[in-house]
Amino acid sequence: MDDRFAWAGPPPAEVPPEPPKRIPLEIPWISWFVLAVLLLGCLCPVLPKDPAYMDLAHTSLPPSRAFWFGTDAMGRDIFSMIWYGGRISLFTGFAAAAVSTLAGIVFGAASGFAPRWADALLMRLTEILLSIPGLLLILLLQGTLGKPNVVSLSLVIGATGWTGIAKVVRTEVLRLRESGFVAAAQCMGGGFFHILRRHLAPNLLPSILFMVVMNVRSAILTESTLSFLGLGLPLEVISWGSMLSLAETALLSGAWWMILIPGGFLTAALLCVTSIGSGLRRWLNREQSNL
Amino acid sequence: MSRNLVWYCLKKLLLFFLSMLLLSLAVFCAAHFAPGDPLVSYYGERAEKLTPEERAQAEERLGLYDPLHTQYLRWLSNALRGDFGMSYKYKTGVLEVIGKRLNNTLLLGGTGFLLIFLLSPVLGILCARFEDKPLDRLLCWAGSLSSCIPEFWLSLTLILVFSVWLRLLPSSGAYAVGKAGDWESRLTHLILPLAVVVLSHLWYYAYMIRNQLLEEVRANYVLLAKTKGLSRRQILLRHCLRNVLPPYFSMMAVAVPHILGGTYVVETVFSYPGLGALSYESARNQDTHLLMALCLLSGGAVMLCSMLAQAVNERVDPRTRSGGGMEVERRG
Repeated sequence: MDDRFAWAGPPPAEVPPEPPKRIPLEIPWISWFVLAVLLLGCLCPVLPKDPAYMDLAHTSLPPSRAFWFGTDAMGRDIFSMIWYGGRISLFTGFAAAAVSTLAGIVFGAASGFAPRWADALLMRLTEILLSIPGLLLILLLQGTLGKPNVVSLSLVIGATGWTGIAKVVRTEVLRLRESGFVAAAQCMGGGFFHILRRHLAPNLLPSILFMVVMNVRSAILTESTLSFLGLGLPLEVISWGSMLSLAETALLSGAWWMILIPGGFLTAALLCVTSIGSGLRRWLNREQSNL
Repeated sequence: MSRNLVWYCLKKLLLFFLSMLLLSLAVFCAAHFAPGDPLVSYYGERAEKLTPEERAQAEERLGLYDPLHTQYLRWLSNALRGDFGMSYKYKTGVLEVIGKRLNNTLLLGGTGFLLIFLLSPVLGILCARFEDKPLDRLLCWAGSLSSCIPEFWLSLTLILVFSVWLRLLPSSGAYAVGKAGDWESRLTHLILPLAVVVLSHLWYYAYMIRNQLLEEVRANYVLLAKTKGLSRRQILLRHCLRNVLPPYFSMMAVAVPHILGGTYVVETVFSYPGLGALSYESARNQDTHLLMALCLLSGGAVMLCSMLAQAVNERVDPRTRSGGGMEVERRG
């Protein structure tokens, strides 16, 4: 509205904006609460027993007053192992998600900014990468890094999980790069990473937030699957997945607590992360139904 | 027009061929640097006892001494003539080894795919029709629970309940010993792995249909149809579903190789003799020729399906023509 002409007629009547139809904002409180409990428990430095201590006098005991969740075939206290192993499982999840988010943003933005032929080439490369089954790719990558530890495993899992984010970022960048503020920044001599950090990232974050949360979930899942198969962390590094790698013997002896308890914690953590993620998505695009 | 079509097909074919070439090169290099000793997969336990001279001789004979590019070029020239080499472990042609297991994988993955393909629209429509009603909430809750449970743990739990506690179903293998042709034995062995495959994938697709339907439901044409007096069911099934199905079909086309090949965790837990288990074994033991053939098989299937889906989509919906890559997502 141009003020200079405002005196020519009566001032335009204030039209009150239509009150938006309200959609109640649901926050998945239970999930946040459970996740907080899990995190706090895992970060708690005091454990009732040493999780790595093998009490050979008490192997494969069902849950009792002395061992709340029972002991495993090597006599380790499962209650302590759960909290100790959770640290590694959750850490791997968050670290791998951070790696893949960063890689996805850089790759997607580069592909979106690049000339057409380079863009096509990069996307083709992504497709080739995607055509190898995920776990197999991780296995091959890991071989080049040597014996797996927590950091290298997070790196490898992160390095294979960025393609989804890269795709969304690329589409968004293709849309955003035509906008004036990016052109202005380029004119003033802003480099690729400057524009990415100061101008694109704030615009991108809402659209990839959901995917980032989902990446945390799939990274936790991948770590536990790998460790379960004996391809990830070695047996002596306690995580929820490596606790389950003894499950075959547990099945034979019918020791349900060795299978159901670590898996239950794993599933609970995954469920919390998922419901937080979908809560975020619902909140970001809420609209009323016409049906 | 037809000349355009020929040109289009040629271009796609060339692209496909180039991609396969790149893929084979990448896998070859990765397999070379991965841990594991090809001699162990060739000689088994005996490899440890070989004297250095014998080792050198064996490596010479298998051509492992040559520089990497010579090995690759040799593999490539053989592969172009249809000879994919010999598996170090099984000591027969790679194609023969794969052929033996293909049936099992097709049975497990194919049945699983069919069930997922048919069930997920039903679930998605139910959820969209009763959005935010108790039914939708229940389905969403159960669905996200089922998709959150790790595949391997679901398998373990099912084995614990149905094989160890109830003793109803067998816990491993594709058929009882000596009953390869017996359908009943195959079926009972299929139930648990199939349940895991379906349960862990189903909600992903059903939820996608649900969300896309919910987006459609917010479009203006739905208001118009409603003012015309159409019932909700008619609007959903005749109008909204039509807009959702084409992307669903293309997505399912891309999902074929993922569901077929993505059963390796299940195969491993249930000791089901399929391709997934085979590819892990080959990757761990540096059974290079077998690994190459398996990767090319799955990679080729993924690329072929995504190209087919893209071609069909471009025909059905011209808007997608200018867009870059297909929506391929890694599952599993």
